[in-house]
Amino acid sequence: MGNEKVTGALVERNLMRDSLQLMKISEELKKLDGVIDAIVAMGTETNKEIAKQLGLLLPEVEKAGDSDLFIAIAAKEEQSLKKALEKAKELLSAPISGGEMEYVDIESALAALPDANLAIVSVPGEYARDVTMKLLEKGIHVHLFSDHVPEEHEVELKKYAFDRGLLVLGPGAGTSIINGKAIAFANAVRRGPIGIIAAAGTGLQEVSSLIHNMSLGVSHGLGVGGGDVKNYVGGIMTKLALSYMEKDPSTKIITMVSKPPQQETLNSILEYAEKNTTKRLVLGFMGKVEMDLPKGLKGRTSVARTLHATALESVRLVSPYIYEKVKDEYTIPFDKLNAMLKPKYEKLKSSQKYIRALYTGGTLTSESLMIFDLLGIEVYSNAPLKGQKKLEDPFKSVGNTVVDLGEEEFTAGRAHPMIDPTIRRLRLIEEAKDPEVAVILMDFVLGYGSHPDPAGAHLDAIREAKKIAEKDGRHLVIIGYVLGVEGDPQGFNEQKRKLEAEGVMVLPTNAISALAAALSALRGKLNDNRVREIYEGYLKASAE
Amino acid sequence: MSNARKLFDEDLKVINVGLKIFYEDLKRQGVRVVQVNYQPPPKLEKELKDKLSELL
Repeated sequence: MGNEKVTGALVERNLMRDSLQLMKISEELKKLDGVIDAIVAMGTETNKEIAKQLGLLLPEVEKAGDSDLFIAIAAKEEQSLKKALEKAKELLSAPISGGEMEYVDIESALAALPDANLAIVSVPGEYARDVTMKLLEKGIHVHLFSDHVPEEHEVELKKYAFDRGLLVLGPGAGTSIINGKAIAFANAVRRGPIGIIAAAGTGLQEVSSLIHNMSLGVSHGLGVGGGDVKNYVGGIMTKLALSYMEKDPSTKIITMVSKPPQQETLNSILEYAEKNTTKRLVLGFMGKVEMDLPKGLKGRTSVARTLHATALESVRLVSPYIYEKVKDEYTIPFDKLNAMLKPKYEKLKSSQKYIRALYTGGTLTSESLMIFDLLGIEVYSNAPLKGQKKLEDPFKSVGNTVVDLGEEEFTAGRAHPMIDPTIRRLRLIEEAKDPEVAVILMDFVLGYGSHPDPAGAHLDAIREAKKIAEKDGRHLVIIGYVLGVEGDPQGFNEQKRKLEAEGVMVLPTNAISALAAALSALRGKLNDNRVREIYEGYLKASAE
Repeated sequence: MSNARKLFDEDLKVINVGLKIFYEDLKRQGVRVVQVNYQPPPKLEKELKDKLSELL
C-alpha cells in the first residue's frame, strides 16, 4: 500500500509555552524528512480534539492536562519518528529570545525608552490591571490586547485613564491604527480624513481596509474593546476617543464601528457626542438599532447597519465623487451578482443545499449572520444572533452553519485561527464530505499580526475538499473573502490570485460575500422584497 | 493634573509587554519599540500581595 505510518508521543508535565511558539515548532517538524504530521501543543481539550482529527490522540496525549505540553508525530518509519521527537525536544529547549535587547520588567524598559507614548499589553488577563496601571501612572497610553480581564479591573483602569486624558484601548482590542501605524492585528491603510472608533476588532479592519481600497484613508483607528459599549463600562473610552477625534485636525469625519451598544450606554454616548463634537458622524452599529438621535446630532449623523455601509457612507461624506465611482463595484447590483454566480451554482446537485461559513473574524461572522437572518435563512452558529440557533457541538456543522473559529472553544491553548490555519483546514475537509453542502464561505484576514500567507496555507485543503466532492460527483461553490490592502505584508492581489487560481470566487466585501453564498445555495431564488431591504437598508446608510 | 503623553502626530515610541509578534510587526513598520518578556508573578506571591493591599 505504501501508506504505513508509525506514531509516537511525548508529554512534558507542567511545561508552559506560548501558542505561537508551539505552532512554529509544529510547522518546523512537519518539514522534516519522513514526517507525515505533527502537533506540539498544550493539553487543552481543544488541542486534544485537533490531535484526534489528525489521528494523533495517542493514549499519553489523552492523559495530558491543561498545563502539560504534548508532542505527537506521525512518520513514515521508526527512524524518522525518533529523529523528529528528538528535534522537538531540542526546539523546545532553545532560548525564546532572538538575541536582541529585551527586558523583564516595565521599569527597565522605561529606562531604555523614557519618552514612550504607547504600550501594547498582552499579558494573561488577571495580570493586566497591574501592568496597565504602572504604564498609565507614567502618562503612557495603552492598547490592551489581553482577554479575560475582570470587568471591575476594566472599569477601574478606564476611569483612572479618562480623568487623565489617557487612552486605554481594550481590553480585548485586536486592532488599532495610530499615526498610520498598525497596532496588533491591523492593515497597512493609508492616512486620510476618516477617524474610526471601534468596539469590534475585525470591524475596524474591514472598514479601514475598504476605505483604503476605495482610495481614501484613515487618520487614526482606535479600538476600544467590545466591553466599552456595555453598561458596566458605559462607553468611557468611546467618549474619550470622540474627544480625541474632535480635536485632531487631520480627522474630518468620525466613524464608529460596533455591535449594538446597550441602550443606556448608547444614550450616554450620543449625549456626549452631541455636547463634545461638531464633526460629521457615521454610526456603524451592526443591525437595526432603535435610537433617539439628540437634536444636536441631527443633520450631521449617518446611521449604517453593516460594515459595508459604514465604509461606503464614510467615503461618500468625504468625496461624493469617489463614492459614485466605486459604489457599484463594491455594492454589486443583485442581477450582476446573480449572473456572476450562476455558472457556479448551476453545477450543484439538487441534494446540495447548505451553506457552511468558516470564519476567523468575529465581526465578519456577525455581519454574515445578519445577512442570512434578513434573507430568512435558518442558520446555526456557535455565536448566534438573537433568535438564531446555537450549534450543539461547535466542531460539527448542521444545516446552514456559520462558525466563528476565533471563539474561546477553538482558541484555548492555541493561536488564533488568523495565525494558525490548522483548525480551519481540518474543518473544510469535513464540510466537503457532507453531500448536502453546496457553498463554503471563508474569510482570509491579512495585515500585521496575521499568518504570512493565509490563502497559501489553505490551498492544499481546498484542493482536497474539491477532490472529495468530485469523487462523489459533486461540485462545491467556494467563496473567499480577502480582507486587506495591497500594502499588507501578505499583499492583497497575490492572496486573491492564489484563491482564484483554485476556482475560489473572491468578492469585494464581506457582506456581498455572504449575500453571494445565500444566492448560490438558493440558486438565485431569493425573496425580492428581502433583497431590496438588504440593498436599501443594509448595504446603504441613511443620513439623519 | 494630566501627565498624558502626546500620542497623535508624534513619533510612536512603544513598550510591548507580552506577545513578541507585535514587537516584530512594529519594527517592520519602522517604529521604535522595546520588548518586555513578561513573566507572571508566582501565584502565591500575587495572592499575598492582593491580600496585603486589601488590608492596607
